[in-house]
Amino acid sequence: MTDVREKRATEAVQSKAFKRKKTPHPIWYAVAGAVLVAALTHYLPPFRNYQLATVGAYFTVTAGLTVLTGLNGQLSLGHGALMATGAYTFALAQNRWLALPLSFAAALLVTTLAGVVIGLAAARLRGPYLAGLTLAVAVVVPSVTSTFDDTFNSDMGLSIALDPPPGAVAMEQWQAWLCWTGALITALLLAVLVRGRFGRDLRAVRDDETAARLAGVHVARTQVLAFVVSAACAGLSGALFAVLAQSVSPGAFPLTLSLFLVMAIVIGGLGRLAGALCGAVLLVALPALAQTAGERSGSQRLEGNLALVIFGVVLVVVMLAAPGGLASLRLSTIFRRKR
Amino acid sequence: MSTKTPVPELVLDQITVRFGGLVALDDVSLRVPAGRIVGVIGPNGAGKTTLFNVICGFVTPSAGQISLGGRSWKPRPHRLNRLGIARTLQGVGQFGGLTVLENVLVGARGFRSGEEPAGRGWPAGRARQSEQDALAALERCGVAEYAHAYPGTLPYAVRKRIELARALAARPRILMLDEPAGGLDTDEIHWLAGLIKTAGTTVLLVEHHMDLVMSVCDEILVLDFGKPIALGTPAGIRANEKVTEAYLGTAA
Repeated sequence: MTDVREKRATEAVQSKAFKRKKTPHPIWYAVAGAVLVAALTHYLPPFRNYQLATVGAYFTVTAGLTVLTGLNGQLSLGHGALMATGAYTFALAQNRWLALPLSFAAALLVTTLAGVVIGLAAARLRGPYLAGLTLAVAVVVPSVTSTFDDTFNSDMGLSIALDPPPGAVAMEQWQAWLCWTGALITALLLAVLVRGRFGRDLRAVRDDETAARLAGVHVARTQVLAFVVSAACAGLSGALFAVLAQSVSPGAFPLTLSLFLVMAIVIGGLGRLAGALCGAVLLVALPALAQTAGERSGSQRLEGNLALVIFGVVLVVVMLAAPGGLASLRLSTIFRRKR
Repeated sequence: MSTKTPVPELVLDQITVRFGGLVALDDVSLRVPAGRIVGVIGPNGAGKTTLFNVICGFVTPSAGQISLGGRSWKPRPHRLNRLGIARTLQGVGQFGGLTVLENVLVGARGFRSGEEPAGRGWPAGRARQSEQDALAALERCGVAEYAHAYPGTLPYAVRKRIELARALAARPRILMLDEPAGGLDTDEIHWLAGLIKTAGTTVLLVEHHMDLVMSVCDEILVLDFGKPIALGTPAGIRANEKVTEAYLGTAA
């Protein structure tokens, strides 16, 4: 035993000390995040608060999507549609009962059910076929609104009745708090879920289905669960967007949104919650940047398409410079590159 | 190897597998007594891996019965682990995105073939138990030092051992090894033979390396084009003319 070990352990392998990286419990990140957001909302002007809230809402969906795509290997191009499902459910529930927690619960429940249905189909599909199915969902859901226009009011969408924020809190501040509460709870739950056996099974299924099955992993169940979890995240995110806009319309959840979400988690770093956060920031920052640039150039036509161009360029650059995404960048890596 | 007649743990009864017009396995029967080491050999394409796939539930036989521990049994891949059956794959079937320890932990699911009740205690306690099992398995295979490395960075022989460790971490009562010696050198094969002999479980072994098969197996089944052509002790198989013929062809 020992002789072989000595022989096989080549210099290259042994020079690296294979130590486990100790990471603090995700709850500390969540607490730190909450403190940071509370502080920021106190000092930022209303528009920045609104942007901060949007980052939180995006983070809720990208976190779930990165678990599905990055850790479980299922590509979904339909998360925008799941967000729409959550948003519309929230709007209908809110307009009927005017109870915020109830509406959030309804949004979560309905998107979870939608996730079960799509997930069951998705677990049988691989690669491009799965992408095709989720793409179909992304296309179908917005058109449902015009088919049943009595309920969903077609392209006009629904406006949402919201109670005024409690006390002397500004609307934008209240929105930011709501969004980040949702985002941080989602991220915390996902982080805890992914740390244990479930996370390991997710990644095992992604890497080698046959070997995972032989090791005792129920592959289909794992895939459906992953889809359902990420669908629930998308539903919550959709509800948060409904709170932000105080209205829902199919135009708010176009196909490009689903594609942007996938791009964001790839640029941020697949399979990492930190990457999902980077992606969420980019989803808010890049369009804002594009708008400013468009306004400066004085061209109306440029404005709409510039965001796409910028996203494309950022994607290419990040993939070349840091294939693991922005979240994989460390100061030490940058330093080593320069040397 | 006890002197009393061992109870057959796994029994394959007249298994036939057809893929369209191709008969991959033709009327194969095998009794695997508990604690014995049974080898399955044969030229390429003889149906050895298909036989393994039947036992694992990846392939449903067109005819024939399988029974486990005396009961009729329909195998399903993801349930093997909790039934105490572990299998390694040809080559290395590893999870590249998981560390070596995590790779082994996927197999260590806390289902015991022994007397301890499965999955007792708090989740944290169970996780610790799984981790101990996994580390013990890595230690046993001599690769514990790589626990926190990623398999992609390691030499092939080490990865083969990690594969074995993942199978052993499940504390199986039946260990199925599909070409465990493929790509290994003499020293490694010697070590592997030692591990198989001292595994303390029933072992089913598919292997091309004759020295290994002959030295570790209690019983050997020889397949040729899906047909069982011989079954017996290593000495008997070595002397069997049909086997020689299957491997080397008939004299002109």
